[in-house]
Amino acid sequence: MNRLAALAAPRQDYSYAFLDAYAKRELRRRTLKAIAIPGYQVPYASRELPIARGWGTGGLQVTLSLVGPESIVKVIDQGADDSVNAANLRRFIARMSGAQTTTDALKATIIQSRHRIPEEILREYQALVLQVPDPEPLRAVESNSSRAHEMHAEADYGQMWLVLYEQLVRYKQYIQGASYPSLVNGRYVISPSPIPRWDTPKLHQSAHLTLLSAGREKRLYAVPPYTDVYPLEFDDIPFQVEDQRGWVCAITGVKNKFMNEIPQPDGTSTYELSDTGYMEKVAPADATRTEPPGATYYDEQGNFYHDGYLKPPIQPEL
Amino acid sequence: MSAHPPYTTSEARSRETFLALMWALSYPGRTPTLPDNADPFALIGDTLLDLETSFYTPDAQIRARLAQTGARLLEPKRAAYHFYAELDDSALATIATANIGTLSYPDQAATLIIHARFRSDSALTLTGPGINGSTSIQIDGIPASFWTMRERAAFPLGWDVFFVNDKSVLGLPRSTKVTLE
Repeated sequence: MNRLAALAAPRQDYSYAFLDAYAKRELRRRTLKAIAIPGYQVPYASRELPIARGWGTGGLQVTLSLVGPESIVKVIDQGADDSVNAANLRRFIARMSGAQTTTDALKATIIQSRHRIPEEILREYQALVLQVPDPEPLRAVESNSSRAHEMHAEADYGQMWLVLYEQLVRYKQYIQGASYPSLVNGRYVISPSPIPRWDTPKLHQSAHLTLLSAGREKRLYAVPPYTDVYPLEFDDIPFQVEDQRGWVCAITGVKNKFMNEIPQPDGTSTYELSDTGYMEKVAPADATRTEPPGATYYDEQGNFYHDGYLKPPIQPEL
Repeated sequence: MSAHPPYTTSEARSRETFLALMWALSYPGRTPTLPDNADPFALIGDTLLDLETSFYTPDAQIRARLAQTGARLLEPKRAAYHFYAELDDSALATIATANIGTLSYPDQAATLIIHARFRSDSALTLTGPGINGSTSIQIDGIPASFWTMRERAAFPLGWDVFFVNDKSVLGLPRSTKVTLE
């Protein structure tokens, strides 16, 4: 090495974990406020990242503000660890932070997810970071976001109930499939990001911390551990998760977990587990790597782990 | 793959302090550890403050240290972060004027960082988000009037509090209900 190079500081093209110190401090200030006000959408700056907005920049920024060299990161996209989006985000996070990566939901300290919550029960001090495309649950009933902001301030959610009522009148069931509006800590209605209804109850009184971040919309909100989260439902017509009873995973033979439906040429369907990290544990591709799966939110009979939280279906009489 | 950008000492301290604050606020009543051998006010100041935000403290020494972050010193009513070495009558009078946020923007409420001693035996019972059932904690040197004042703001309004000692931090978000025994 020549002497000039020896004198110069080593070249650094990036800050640690990509975000500069100002961006991290701002995001951290906002994250703390989001945790203190469960369900309230905290505005934040949302910086430029080397991926386009709408591809997980909100979740990515939160992850980058949390991650360190000792972190173990899992990134999933619709349950899959191996999709292009998840693989790219995971590689970027690891390259910028030196964090380890994993596909095991129980080993991870930070789980960044697009549209799924793992099947295995997360534990305390795990951070689940959900990427949110549209943080505003009132968007469908109020297109003016300033007005929607006021409605949250006044806890004016009457129109949400009207939407649910209209669904019952027309279809005899709640038809919202993903992003099912849910009441957090008895105060704010949130969009839990487009997780299926199957995953929504997992936010209720959970041991882990959930951070939801929308990069394009520049809003961040949180569901702290051990916080009440109830999907909006009428007293006499309870909320239901997807009815996948009878669906059997073609690869593992597992039932009563969330499935992908795979249409077949003859018009029938086969099914396979959506959560690939869980599938890997149930039926390891490499037989030498056997890791028993942990306890799951829904047991083998499909019962949710909080007894009595999900109620048997009732058909409305309208 | 090339090595990741350097995890500098200051980067590590900020991140560890932030994680302590985040988990303290996520699990009220627990006391995560702050990085070693440092003044907790300086740690929290360096982690959260910069020229985009503001602070208030009655203590000249702390004020000089926090000014190094670039944050603006503002009157108590408008300052975003308050730092108190002790809760005497004048500090309580100041806290009474601290911003509790508005229904439209509850996130604009102040954050109070207060030096205190805490033990895990009785005195205060906490319930609310982040607490599995209920939990007990004792915080020394906090007058009863502080709790009465805190009760005045109803969720989602109110300030968020971090009690710090030399080693650890205890978070008390506005969502926590405190019952005195």
